[in-house]
Amino acid sequence: MMLRTFKSLFMVLAIALFVQSCEDRLDLQPEDERLTADAAFEDPEAYKEFLGKIYAGISLSGQEGPAGAPDLEGLDEGFSNYLRLYWKMQELTTDEALIAWNDGTIQDLHGQVWTSGNEFIRTMYSRLLYQVALCNEFLRQTTSEKLDSRGVGADLRAEIQTFRAEARFMRALTYWHAMDLFANPPFVTENDPIGAFLPPQIQRADLFTYVETELLDILDEMAAPRANEYGRADRGAAWMLLAKIYLNAEVYTGTSRYADVITYTNNIIGAGYSIPSIPYFHSFLADNDSNGAQEEVIFTIPFDGLRTQAFGGMTFLTHAPVGGSMNPADFGINGGWFGIRTTPTFVEQFPDEENSADGRELLYTDGQNKDIMSVATFTDGYAVAKYRNVDVNGNPGSDATGNHTDIDFPMFRLADAYLMYAEAVLRGGGGSVNTATGYINQLRERAYGDTSGNISEGDLTLDFIIDERSRELYWEAHRRTDLIRFDKFSDNGVWQWKGGVQSGTTTESFRDLMPLPATDLGINTNLEQNPGY
Amino acid sequence: MKTFLSALVFCLILVPTSLMAQSTVNGTVTDNANAMPLPGVNVLVKGTSRGTSTDFDGKYSIEVNQGEIIIISYVGYKTQEITYTGQSSVDVALEEDAAQLDEVVLIGYGSTTKQDATGAVEKVGDEDFNRGAIVAPQQLIAGKAAGVRITSGGGAAGEGGEIRIRGGASLGSNFGATNDPLIVIDGLPIDQRGGAQGSRNALNAINPADIEDFVVLKDASATAIYGSRASNGVILITTKKGSANQPFKVEYGVQFSTRKVTNTVDVLNASQYQQIVGDNGGDITTFGEANTNWQDQIYSTGTGAIHNLTVSKGYERFNFRVNFNHASQEGPLDDLYERTGINTSFVHRFLDNDLKLTLVTKAIKDEFDYANEGSIGAAVAFDPTQSVFDENGNFTQYGNGANLAPANPLWLLDDNNYNNRQSIKRVISNFNIDYKFWFLRDLRFNLNAGIDYAENDGYKFEGANPNDSNAVPLNEISNGLNRNTSLDFYFNYKKNVESINTLVDVTAGHAFQEFYIKSFVDRVAATTLTDTDINRNALESYFARASFDIADKYLISASFRRDGSSRFSEDNRWGSFPGVSVGWKLMNESFMENSFFSNLKLRAGWGVTGQQEIGRNYGYLGIYTPSRNNAANIQFGTLPNGDPIFFETLRPEGFDEELKWEETTQYNVAIDFGFFNNRLTGTLDAYYRETEDLLSRVPVPAGANLTDLLITNVGEATSRGIEFSLNGVIAQQENFGWDTNFNLTFQDVEITKLSLSDDPDFTLPTGGISGGVGNNIQILRPGYDPTTFFVFRQVYDDNGNPIAGAYVDVNGDNQITEADRQAYKKATPDAFIGFTNNFRYRNFDLNFTFRGSFGNYVYNNVASDRGNANAVVNQPGYQANAHASVLNTGFTNQELFSDLYIQRADFVRLDNISLGYTIPFSKMNLRASLTATNLFVITEYDGLDPEIGSGIENNFYPRTRDVVLGLNFTF
Repeated sequence: MMLRTFKSLFMVLAIALFVQSCEDRLDLQPEDERLTADAAFEDPEAYKEFLGKIYAGISLSGQEGPAGAPDLEGLDEGFSNYLRLYWKMQELTTDEALIAWNDGTIQDLHGQVWTSGNEFIRTMYSRLLYQVALCNEFLRQTTSEKLDSRGVGADLRAEIQTFRAEARFMRALTYWHAMDLFANPPFVTENDPIGAFLPPQIQRADLFTYVETELLDILDEMAAPRANEYGRADRGAAWMLLAKIYLNAEVYTGTSRYADVITYTNNIIGAGYSIPSIPYFHSFLADNDSNGAQEEVIFTIPFDGLRTQAFGGMTFLTHAPVGGSMNPADFGINGGWFGIRTTPTFVEQFPDEENSADGRELLYTDGQNKDIMSVATFTDGYAVAKYRNVDVNGNPGSDATGNHTDIDFPMFRLADAYLMYAEAVLRGGGGSVNTATGYINQLRERAYGDTSGNISEGDLTLDFIIDERSRELYWEAHRRTDLIRFDKFSDNGVWQWKGGVQSGTTTESFRDLMPLPATDLGINTNLEQNPGY
Repeated sequence: MKTFLSALVFCLILVPTSLMAQSTVNGTVTDNANAMPLPGVNVLVKGTSRGTSTDFDGKYSIEVNQGEIIIISYVGYKTQEITYTGQSSVDVALEEDAAQLDEVVLIGYGSTTKQDATGAVEKVGDEDFNRGAIVAPQQLIAGKAAGVRITSGGGAAGEGGEIRIRGGASLGSNFGATNDPLIVIDGLPIDQRGGAQGSRNALNAINPADIEDFVVLKDASATAIYGSRASNGVILITTKKGSANQPFKVEYGVQFSTRKVTNTVDVLNASQYQQIVGDNGGDITTFGEANTNWQDQIYSTGTGAIHNLTVSKGYERFNFRVNFNHASQEGPLDDLYERTGINTSFVHRFLDNDLKLTLVTKAIKDEFDYANEGSIGAAVAFDPTQSVFDENGNFTQYGNGANLAPANPLWLLDDNNYNNRQSIKRVISNFNIDYKFWFLRDLRFNLNAGIDYAENDGYKFEGANPNDSNAVPLNEISNGLNRNTSLDFYFNYKKNVESINTLVDVTAGHAFQEFYIKSFVDRVAATTLTDTDINRNALESYFARASFDIADKYLISASFRRDGSSRFSEDNRWGSFPGVSVGWKLMNESFMENSFFSNLKLRAGWGVTGQQEIGRNYGYLGIYTPSRNNAANIQFGTLPNGDPIFFETLRPEGFDEELKWEETTQYNVAIDFGFFNNRLTGTLDAYYRETEDLLSRVPVPAGANLTDLLITNVGEATSRGIEFSLNGVIAQQENFGWDTNFNLTFQDVEITKLSLSDDPDFTLPTGGISGGVGNNIQILRPGYDPTTFFVFRQVYDDNGNPIAGAYVDVNGDNQITEADRQAYKKATPDAFIGFTNNFRYRNFDLNFTFRGSFGNYVYNNVASDRGNANAVVNQPGYQANAHASVLNTGFTNQELFSDLYIQRADFVRLDNISLGYTIPFSKMNLRASLTATNLFVITEYDGLDPEIGSGIENNFYPRTRDVVLGLNFTF
């Protein structure tokens, strides 16, 4: 009996103790390399690593290279890469590029028949707003209160101030892309929470003002031009972005700002960048961070065949244009993806077309047809051999397997600034036609290797500029914006397979704006669709 | 573990003690129907711990006092009670109870009887199991229970199967929370993520031959006691234990089997292929001289053997059962699954049976040697004009430069080029204390302490792509640890309160369970990765149930569970899950006397269940993830020597602070009936189920979070269904018996809401397919089944041939864009059936099971991807074979989204048929059997197999036909 009583008591006690102890055991936190915010920022390096994520937001697609732990899950990870999507928006929709593949609605981009259900447009939009959210979170985590509470020392604080300016620059860059593509996107800043709220929609002109104000505000805090670490943005990049929005201000706001273009391109031109005296094609090789081409670059997106791997970005831009009889080894890669070519319209920008003396003509024609009878057939349409993962001596990049490439993407470069200056001059922003002609001839001397391609002041017209921009900057993700500024994107301008027909046809002008994705409209009731969709 | 050991020692020492002097009575127990002796019948003296069971000749002997009552009970027969009045022998002829209304049915933290059950509870015992060389427990009950659909994943060695009870209440693990039911083995709830890593089917750890029965809890009134994990039903698996006073018994069973694929994908032969190449301007110089059927080359006949050796014995107070088993199964791709297991159960009763200790321990080693299943697709695509080997005896390959081409399928399968092994060691152990309080014998305390612990070790090697001279091989080591610890206890009070003529049964308890999962991977390939992931989550629960049986006519049962999950923030952590059910045993009403019915019962139930199994932890916390390898770094700056400086990145993750329980409300009404002395019985259940706050991985409002898709509580779904089952004992004679089971299920699942806004057109793509990256063929949309296809409506010419690229312009904008895609058909069936027959003639027995499914459709992705000329001639750097459908469609390009590829996939399959012969020796029983599975399938579907869980047929590992010879010896 005693034993039984004792046993029962023991049991009751054991149970009581057990009930006591386990509610706490429901408070669980990560135990592997994942960290809570407080734990993460105990490491002073965390601030720079987080800033690194913002820059990597454009080059990488997730936390595991080349694929794994993706940032976005709504589409295949390789497809969801910022640069790859932005490039597709800017190039596949134009006369500069088309793609053979059968991935979802990708063909609708070149056909200009996309709808609000297009997954590439949707993912671009998601990627842009994701990038904004990252920047906002960085700014929230680096307020002076947060830094105080974490006892961050003065040296690191000073550095973090520059980081904050760069995060705001990166946000402005992304909002520019959003303003350019979608006009009136959702608008969130560091003052918004994370989670259950519906971001308000901002109008394009208001967003223009916001981007402009932000950029002007951070200029002093940005590192001097060419004074920051390679891969990070400096004041030159901010000037360039200002010049970009001013050049397109008429499209964005209805009010032109060409004088401001002159101001900021002049700032850039005077900041020590130069057109190197090396062949044009060197700028797009594996060693373009060191072969001299970097002298021209204002803002670069660095890639590395071993350390910065993604199936978007330069891996895509190097593999996808290779196919047919092209020898992958010439491109420093293990094989082509038989995807991207160009249209006859682009080929015809060059005098003598594929046999042009212009060194910027990097067409590959062996076994390729100039005309495109079938979009799905790689050999229809000339191929473009612009991005090659070999150095100036022809040696392949650092990834011996030939999967990933070392080519850095020149997002902003001096040639663009020269062309913008010239265009602003022609559009009445001030400046000098003579200076502008000199700048253009610098580019043409690099292209021709001599002065044989030089132009005179009389040749410098807006029609010349739009074509010259294509010759100089093709496949660098500028074309759609340029065509819209010149009103040649939708209801003007015809190239093969535009409008979904072989010979090409014009489309309606509402296509100058991309639709807001149907999914976000379905969730965020603050949003109003762009007209026409 | 220490507790278990001491309990075990305790058990072993305190083996039987002495008895008082009594007289001995002998007797024989026979089957009233055929006068055959019944072995293993329980014979007990009422109110004592004295008991025994009959031997092979149905004989028993037991010590008994004058006036005591002998209870003779046997599963499937009506229990008899006989008062001992000094008879020298007591012979008993038991009458079969076809309905087995007294049968005890587990209901979670307790049990009831079939006649007192008020929820939708179905028990499938071992006599009803599917036959064959089965290694996956879920295959035992395929087609056996209404409302339960089990779809095997194909013919691979050790393949399991997807279990869906009432179609699943959630969106499934691709889109949110799992649709898998909770599985409870001998009282231990198993991790819904499987419980072990590296296994094709983690449930294989349970030896099918050890399973006594499955109890399927279908409706919410029955499952609410498992509140937090019960929305998709609960399956309670009880393993065999041996019984008290049972003679020493040795059983040995062996099954030898062969497995062979029954069907392959229709592809072009060499001359058809050459024709397509020639007609489409391909390169005819690549042709070889062979006509190779690559699929015939890769599939071979697999063999298998399953051995089970079991010893068991029961003493008065102690019984044990030890099973040793070994199973090996080869798949047609020469993959191999092996299981070695030892299963033990010890039951010890103390203190005049007031205290019962049960220890059940299973130790299992599962070994998988996986085949390179990439060979399935490669065999469809590889150039049929090539021979397997070239003139030098090397594997024929496309060669360098065709780095996107398939590798030779046999090269892929070759051990030198592919090696993928996983070895999983697992212990599932449960220690149970059941104690009746001496001061209040109606009060019982029950405690379960369980652990499910698994370690896995894996090694994988993949040879470098033979078509890419730069390619490097992949070497990967992986290991993991899963630990599921569970402790629960309850008090149960059960008393017949005669003053109110009511049987009262009240239970209250507490449970805590923690899951710890660690995974390590070290991969050396083109990109290296070394990573350890750790995930821990826990559940704490309080539960109670009260059941009343008033006048043996009116049944009322109510349960309540309160659950806390570590996956939710403190504010949303706890959820409450009630259930209520009532029953009316009409048969016991006086007006039903002399009625046509032999049983009639009405039941109704309501309950709320929860769901939190979203796979991920910490979803409510904002956490940071660093770069997982050094290939996801960013360059900041350059060293003086020009080398870049790389930094790790740190990513903040999206989160939802408001994350909370998904809740399902379910209503169930049913009627149980029996005719002809219960030789014909049946049940009709109807249910309606609503899920709210669906845990779904949906798009977030862009900009509002640090991700694009987030698991959050959005959306609603409803489902409804009717389940009908009929059991008949058609013949019950000495030399001939025939019984049959038929079950029929109608079901309908529909998403009713999918986004925060009430946008009725809000659509999420799902159902990824091959043929272009990122393509989806299904949608989630309010008003539709979650497996609905989303396609263009094909336009046909006058001859009924499809016109390539011509689709119905649904919105009339003169363009075919994805806005013209329509929701069309679905993968889930409207109805499915199971039909089983068991025949017995003298010592022969024959049984077979048909399964059928109706209203389900399959998208033939092999045909849509490869049934076109471009699949042959417009490949990146090579030419490949096409699906034979190109001969009918004449398509040049892929027409991936054409409804042409959505095909009706109703089927009826003869799942298994088994013939057995029992040879009763005097001291031994031998049963020999021959079983064949998957003998034929009747279907209109012209792809490989109409039974595809996802509804998308793409490189499906073909199901096999197995022929199994079985021998069972019992000593």
